[in-house]
Amino acid sequence: MTDPLIELFAEVLQIDGARLNEETSPQNTSQWDSLAAMALVAAIEEKFNVRLSTKQIMKMSTIGRARQALQSMSVPV
Amino acid sequence: MTPADPRSRWRQYRAEPGDGADKPELAVALAGSITVEPLEPYLGAYLLSRTIRPRITVGPFNQLPQICFNHSRLLGAVDVIILIWRVEDLFPEMLGRAIQDPQAMSSLLEEVRGLADAVAHLGHTFGGTVIVSSPPYPTYPGFELADIRQGLCGMRVFQAISQLWSERVGRMERVRLFDLHGLVLEIGVRQAHDVRKWQLYRQPYTERLWHDAGRTLGRMIAAERVSPKKAVVLDLDNTLWGGIVGEDRLEGLELGDDFPGRAYRDFQRYLKHLKNQGVFLAVASKNNVEDAMEVFERHDAMILSREDIAAFEIHWDSKVESIKRIASRLNIGLDALVFVDDSAKEIGEVRERLPEVTCVIVPEELAELPALLANTEFFDMIEVTDEDRHRTEMVVADSLRQDIREGLSEEEFRQSLQLKVSVFAAGRQHLARVTQLINKSNQFNLTTIRRTQAEVEALSSAANALVMAMNISDKYGDYGLVGVGILRKEEHLCIIDTLLMSCRVLGRGAEETFIAKLAEAAQALDCTEMRGKYVPTRKNAMVADLYRRFGFEYQPASDEWLLALTVLPSPPPYVEATLDLSARLAAQPSR
Repeated sequence: MTDPLIELFAEVLQIDGARLNEETSPQNTSQWDSLAAMALVAAIEEKFNVRLSTKQIMKMSTIGRARQALQSMSVPV
Repeated sequence: MTPADPRSRWRQYRAEPGDGADKPELAVALAGSITVEPLEPYLGAYLLSRTIRPRITVGPFNQLPQICFNHSRLLGAVDVIILIWRVEDLFPEMLGRAIQDPQAMSSLLEEVRGLADAVAHLGHTFGGTVIVSSPPYPTYPGFELADIRQGLCGMRVFQAISQLWSERVGRMERVRLFDLHGLVLEIGVRQAHDVRKWQLYRQPYTERLWHDAGRTLGRMIAAERVSPKKAVVLDLDNTLWGGIVGEDRLEGLELGDDFPGRAYRDFQRYLKHLKNQGVFLAVASKNNVEDAMEVFERHDAMILSREDIAAFEIHWDSKVESIKRIASRLNIGLDALVFVDDSAKEIGEVRERLPEVTCVIVPEELAELPALLANTEFFDMIEVTDEDRHRTEMVVADSLRQDIREGLSEEEFRQSLQLKVSVFAAGRQHLARVTQLINKSNQFNLTTIRRTQAEVEALSSAANALVMAMNISDKYGDYGLVGVGILRKEEHLCIIDTLLMSCRVLGRGAEETFIAKLAEAAQALDCTEMRGKYVPTRKNAMVADLYRRFGFEYQPASDEWLLALTVLPSPPPYVEATLDLSARLAAQPSR
């Protein structure tokens, strides 16, 4: 089964999901620019029906960090 | 639909434009005093849904005056410029002081006036469409809506700014106002704002707000380029009133002050409003005609009267037949019709057999009936012209003409009409109607080149072009402005760039007269020959041989039709025709 979080990043960043992993970050992914960051927050909040705090958003520097933030809100990802 | 859908649609389109990649794109530039990037996917996806292929770019952040004075350097070559601004971003300190201090208040208004002047400058120098937002109620200390003293100070400052802005922008000819404040109200101030986004990204709004802003702006852009629907075909029982007139009789119908009668009455009010904007109303009902007409004539809660309805089809034949007859009677395409009925079966049949017709079913929740058509883009029009307001009256006058036609020969009929045709260079006051015809005429249209009002205006003041219009009246009434011809002059050659007419006036000598007078105008411009092209579309077959009929000669090499202006064609003898080029002469210094 595909990972819903990877799927989301793949769609928003327009990158093949196979090329994404927990370490994917703005530093190693040119598509993850400041505009994509805005789009990612909007997509995550809608897809998982959560509201991220500004602190969580600031800390979401990798896909793994995003997963931790969601898990801390009991979202099963 | 969640906001994510248009966002992913737009991403897909950006990655893979798909079919029609060869069609021209519409270049739209966004700029704002806030981050406006979140608008892009919503605006883009909406325009795609209206068959417009947009290319959207975002200008520099918070540089509105610079953009106004130097749009080509900062935005590049675009067709539409959208500017979003808020008072609190541009003049924050002054806004804070204006609450207390009348002096600061007048300086603030002075600044806003300066911005309005900059936008007006952009309107004059930019050839395309400018859309600028209204300032939303400020989010700023002293303006908190929940504050018990806000009413007196914040509201007063805000109203002064809004009034100044709407009044100034209202006077600008090529600038349209996007009511951002109204949109925030509609969504709700709290639902529209997201404090996190403001702190993180310098944009204060929720996805919901951007979604709706994209749709509203998209409708404004599409209204200039996509023809609106021209008629609503209405069922009667359980659509215009509650109940079935054949069974419940006049007295038993639901129509009046109390729900559910109120919902039907309010729906009729909206339909009447549409009719006053130039949309035809027609009736397609399976009923006894006497029963149905009695409601129009005798029910005192009816808002719509017989005269508001341009065509009645009341009988037991199929609605498909009725709709076809209405379209031919009103001389409009099936794709310009919206059909409203409460029966899923009727709607299904029309959808199946007449897929061009837009079908709308009466909602299960009757309280939503009054706004059924109001919340759609079907009738979006940039400007409502005199011709629009009187369209139904003209159709009624037309049936008078048809009555006298009985028993007369074609020639006698034409003579009896006493047709008056005036052909003239279009002035500023005609541009709205001329643009409207350019964008909606399909059948009698030789080249089908669509243009925005700004483009038409530019042509009308160009030295080598002539935008001509035709007014027609006869003894039964005034048709108004029903023909447009755009001539371009190249040396001694006159090119017919655009030639179109409303179909309502065909076959009475108006087309001959129009061509004859355009030839006369070309001669007045020192041209020795006229050339025109026929560009076939799905709908304009009726003019395929027009140039041949009027004596033009076909040039296979260039696929053009040529008329030497040695002997001018003359209008039919029974038409009183005039030519007036003074609007153009006034606009141009003499050669």
